[in-house]
Order: sequence, then structure tokens, then C-alpha cells
Amino acid sequence: MAESWFRREFLTGRRLAFNVIFYGLHFFFFGYGWYSQAINTKLAALNGLTFSVWTSRGAGLVLAFDGGLILIPMLRNIIRILRPKLTWLFPADENIWFHRQVAYSMAFWAMVHTTAHYVNFINVERTQVRKQIALEIHYTQPGGITGHFMLLIMVLMYATAHHKIRNQCFEAFWYTHHLAFFFMIGLYTHATGCFVRDSVDPAYSPIFPFYTTDHCLGYLSWRFIIWPGIIYFGERIYREYRARRSTRLSKVLVHPSGAMELRIVKPSFKYVAGQWLFVQIPELSRWQWHPFTITSAPEDPYVSIHIRQVGDWTRALGDRLGVGPSVVANMTQAALKGTEKDDKFLKGDFVELDSSTGISLPHVRIDGPYGAPAEDVFNCEVAVLIGAGIGVTPFASILKHIWYRQKKRNIGSLRRVEFFWVCRDAPSFGWFQSLLAEVEAAQADPNFLRINIYLTQKIGEDMLWNIAVNDAGAEYDPLTLLRTRTMFGRPDWMKIYSQMGMAIDCGQYIPGSKSQLKTKVGTYFCGPSPLAKAIKEATVKNTSATVNFTFAKEHF
Amino acid sequence: MGNLVWHDFARYVSITASLYAVWSGFYGIYFRKFFWDFIGGTLRDPGGLQPAPGAAVFITLIVKNPIIQIFAMIVGLFMLALEYPLPQLKSLSIHRSFALKIVLLLFQSFLTLLFYQGTNSALWSLIAAGSYARAIILGETMEEAKDNRGKGGRA
Repeated sequence: MAESWFRREFLTGRRLAFNVIFYGLHFFFFGYGWYSQAINTKLAALNGLTFSVWTSRGAGLVLAFDGGLILIPMLRNIIRILRPKLTWLFPADENIWFHRQVAYSMAFWAMVHTTAHYVNFINVERTQVRKQIALEIHYTQPGGITGHFMLLIMVLMYATAHHKIRNQCFEAFWYTHHLAFFFMIGLYTHATGCFVRDSVDPAYSPIFPFYTTDHCLGYLSWRFIIWPGIIYFGERIYREYRARRSTRLSKVLVHPSGAMELRIVKPSFKYVAGQWLFVQIPELSRWQWHPFTITSAPEDPYVSIHIRQVGDWTRALGDRLGVGPSVVANMTQAALKGTEKDDKFLKGDFVELDSSTGISLPHVRIDGPYGAPAEDVFNCEVAVLIGAGIGVTPFASILKHIWYRQKKRNIGSLRRVEFFWVCRDAPSFGWFQSLLAEVEAAQADPNFLRINIYLTQKIGEDMLWNIAVNDAGAEYDPLTLLRTRTMFGRPDWMKIYSQMGMAIDCGQYIPGSKSQLKTKVGTYFCGPSPLAKAIKEATVKNTSATVNFTFAKEHF
Repeated sequence: MGNLVWHDFARYVSITASLYAVWSGFYGIYFRKFFWDFIGGTLRDPGGLQPAPGAAVFITLIVKNPIIQIFAMIVGLFMLALEYPLPQLKSLSIHRSFALKIVLLLFQSFLTLLFYQGTNSALWSLIAAGSYARAIILGETMEEAKDNRGKGGRA
């Protein structure tokens, strides 16, 4: 029996701590908002409306809090800078998850707040505590107008942000989500109508913020929550400026398996291994930014990304470069059938496109870098890098980077690297094999880097014979063309880790490690979460007095 | 680029609008008010707006007896059962009929527009109905529901 949804979402580990703090703060603000309204003698007239006004003020304060939080996880550049220092405190890569939690909470409290106000205004009209009718407050005063607009914007934004819509039409999500600009304006100006006042009429004034706080007794929350909005706006402008700095697409390599490698030269772009960036090609789409993992190492003179033609944007890019889906489909087919296994392919054969071949390369813009630096790889003695399927891309950059640092004899305390690649159909990642082959060939110490490739695909008869005939006695593995043999089936993580632990213990694994007190083995994983869970369990279980296994999951 | 499937979008808006209709109908029973009572109405202090005599039929149906609110709730609940959908409705063809949904949404919009709490629901129902209409114009169809063959997300 799998653990229940509720248990998984709410009651385990750090989730529990998050929920206690997050929802605890919400209820605290609700209670404070309620209480400070209820005891305020200046607002005695409004307090005549009793529960509805207390509820609306409490929920309003909670919404202000949420409105202040909602943009914080979207401050990508600031998160990137803070992230390495704060990973111990909270998972900074879960920023979108946090954004969603705030949004859910906002929807709920908006319901509470709106309901309470509908009751408020109908009672204002009935008791004539203010000489107004309910619809005047709803549709002629700033609070009502901005409130109704914000609700409408929320409906549109939430509906298009649903993962189903986002996956079928990212643009609908992306453009609609920019209504957030108007939403935030509405939020910051929601109180300018001075509904919460002790005077008969709103105490307007000609100077900013156009009402006097002597009589307008709202929480003035906009003074606090406007800052994330301003910072976010500034960040968007900065990103635009940064994207406009000189960028040149110098080369496009088309790999046998159909992946396109874009090599981009941008001197102002600084990054570390394992990060990702946004790419825009104005010729294809003026506004779309697409995220890709950086596959070059910081030492490379260019920034490279590998693009497989799977979506409509990437296919359009293929068409633009003259290597459209049909051409690539043939290449991929060939790769899957194994017809490419000539010796010349050992060198990683690819088609190179640059301006000399007569094809004009499109203008590109890149924005970034963002995300997870794997710099801490160099702080442990053994690094275990595990990539599953397409999750292998960040490790291209990391492996290259390790290789560069090896050449410079500057690999920190790193003694060994175990690289695992769990993959359903290895041949479709031809480009990665050529990179692996390069790194493998460059190893002077055969023990430093060990590559383990697991193929989980069900093997057909043709492939079986191919392996049987080609594998025996050959120098290279017939599938991956590496010296390392491919293994079939799923890896048994428990066994792998316990053996590694024992080998380290008796000093076989790392020569001379006996003198150390504790060996740190860092695991870096990128891939689907069920697998992550299995690996994490193995690392936790096999940690002993002498060997410390740590686990980190990458997001991209 | 990207292909927005309008009926998927319409479904989410429709669910939201119908939930709003149910909820607004519910507390509309406790705070009864005819939305359009300001037309020709007179303001009394205290007592609020007194609707014009011409609106007597709506006063009977909304203020004296919360008929409209209850109908809005029923339509909203049925709409939710149809959209979510309820397991019993999943295999029926009415679950896949955009025309029926448009009619129900327009009806829901009409009902919620009559009482004080329902205006947002009315507007959103119209948006959902419009999106379904767009789906029909574009010739979208809904796939027949498949049998559940187990759960995903296990390693």
C-alpha cells in the first residue's frame, strides 16, 4: 500500500515543517487582522457589521501577505545568488512549487475575503451606516473595482496555468500570466478607496498615496508588499538588458542522433557547470524563451546547448537550419538501428553548420544562467553522478568541467567519480555518447572515472543478436561505443551503495583513504522522483561511521 | 505555436464559475437581494434599497422565497457533476456535448445575474460558454473516457 496522498503532502519531514510555518503564519495573520479590527474603537461604526467585517479584514491581511510572497519565488536572479548559501535552509530549486502553494492559498482566502465583503456591503446598504448602496461600493469605488478585476484575472491565470493547458500551449499560459502586472497594480491600489475609515467620507488628499492615514485606517500593507513587485519589475528589466548584450550563434552541430548543438558566443555570460539558461530566437518567436541545460563547461570558449527536436519550437528551429524533422528522423532511425557503427563514428561524427556553409544562422538571445551549480562536487572525495534519461544533460557540463579541472590538476578533494546513466534507449542520445567517449579516452587513471550505463529498454531479437555478435572480444561496447560495457536492466541501488561503502571501508576504493576520519560520498541525481526516492533510501541506509553518503537532487 | 485546446480551458473556467454559482447561491439564501433593484428603487434609511413595484416578480422569487438561488445552486451542481465529471456521467455522451454545456452555462449565467452575489459567476459562465463556442467553431471534440487501467507514478 502506497502512502496516502495526505500523508505525503502534509505530514512528512520538511513538508510538515513547511506546512506548520506557512499555514501557521496564515492563521496568525488572519487572527491578527480580525482582532485588530474588532478592538479598534475608531472603527466602531464598521464593527457594527460584526463577523463579516472581522473576517474580511483578517482575510484581507492574509491576502496582502500572500501578495507579498507570490513574486518572491520568481526572483530568479536573486535566488540564483542566494541559493548556494541557503540550500541547507530550504530547497531553493522548489521555487515554482512554493509559488503554487502561495497561489492556492490566495485562491482560498480570496474566496473568504470576497464572501465577507459581499455580506459587508449588503449590510452597509441595509443599515445605512454609510449613505451608499451596495452596488456603489462594488462597482464605483476603487476597492470594489480592483477586487472584481483581480478575481477575473485570477480565473484566467489559474485556468491557463493548469499543467494540461501549459503543456499543450505554453504561450497561452505565458502571455496570460503577464496579467499579473495588472493584478499586482490592483493589489497595491486595492485600499486607495479608503473603505476602512473613521470619517464619514473618504479622507482623500492631493499628495501620494492620495488619502490621509489619519482617517484611512487600513493595514497599509502595500507599503510592505510592494517591494517584491518593484524588485521583480527591476529584475525583468535587467534580464531584458542582459539578453540584449552582444550574443552570436557561432556554430550549429547536428549530431547523428538528431540533436542540434548550438554553440553561442557571449563574452558577458558567466556560469558554472550544471546550470541552465533561457534561449530566444526572435526569428521563430519574438517573445518565447525556452529553457535548456548548458552542456559546455565554463572553461569552453562558447556556451553550448543540445536541442532535440521534440516540440513545435524546436522543430521550427530544425526547419530554419535546414535539418528539419524529416532529415533528423532518418538520422535517429539510423542511430536506433545501429547502422552508424562504423569506425569513423568513434570520433563522434556530426554535420557542422556555420556561415561558411551558406546557411545564415539566426540571431539568438540568451538569458541566464539559473539554477543548480554542482560546484560542491569538488568538496567530496567521491562523487556519484546519476542521470536518468534526458536528466543526463546537466552532467555533460559537469563531466566536461571535471575533465578540464583534471587537466589543470585542480580537482579539490575529489578522488573518484562514479557516473551512472539509467536510460531506456541509449542510442537516441548519440551526442552524449560522443562526449562520454571523449572524456573516457582522456582518462589517465583508469580508476578515476567509472562510467556505468544501464539500459532498461526491453531488447528486441535483432538487438540481441547484434550485441551477441559484436560484443564478444570487441574493444568497444556495441551500443554505446565506449570501453565501458553497457549493463541491462535496472540498477540495484542498495547493492551498489553497500558494496561501495564496504570497498571504502577496507581501503580498496580510494588508495590511502585510511588516514581520513570520514569519507564523504556525494550523490547528485537528476531524473524522475520515484527513482530519486529509491536512491535516497540507499544512501541513508548505507551511511556508516566512516562513510557519509549524501544525496542531492537537481531540478531542471 | 502551441495549440490551445479551447474546451480544456473552458472546462477549468466553467468549473470555477459553477463552484462560484453554488457558493453564491448558498449564501444568497441568507442574504437575499435582487441585483437589479436599483432600477427605479428608492433608498430608505435604514432599510436599504426598496425595489420598484415593477420588480415584484423578482422580489417574490429572490427575496421572499430564494427560488432563483436554489435553482442556481442546482444548475451549478449539475454543471460540476458534468464537468468534473461524476463517475456515473463519465461514460455518457452528454459529458462530451459542448452544446449542452453552452446552454447550461448560459442558463447559469442568466440565473446568477439576477441575484446580488452571483454577478462574477455570471461573467465567468459567459466566458466559459464563449470558450466552448470557440471549441465548436474550431471543430474540437472530446475523447471518450477510457477505462482506468491503474495508477501512474510508481517506479
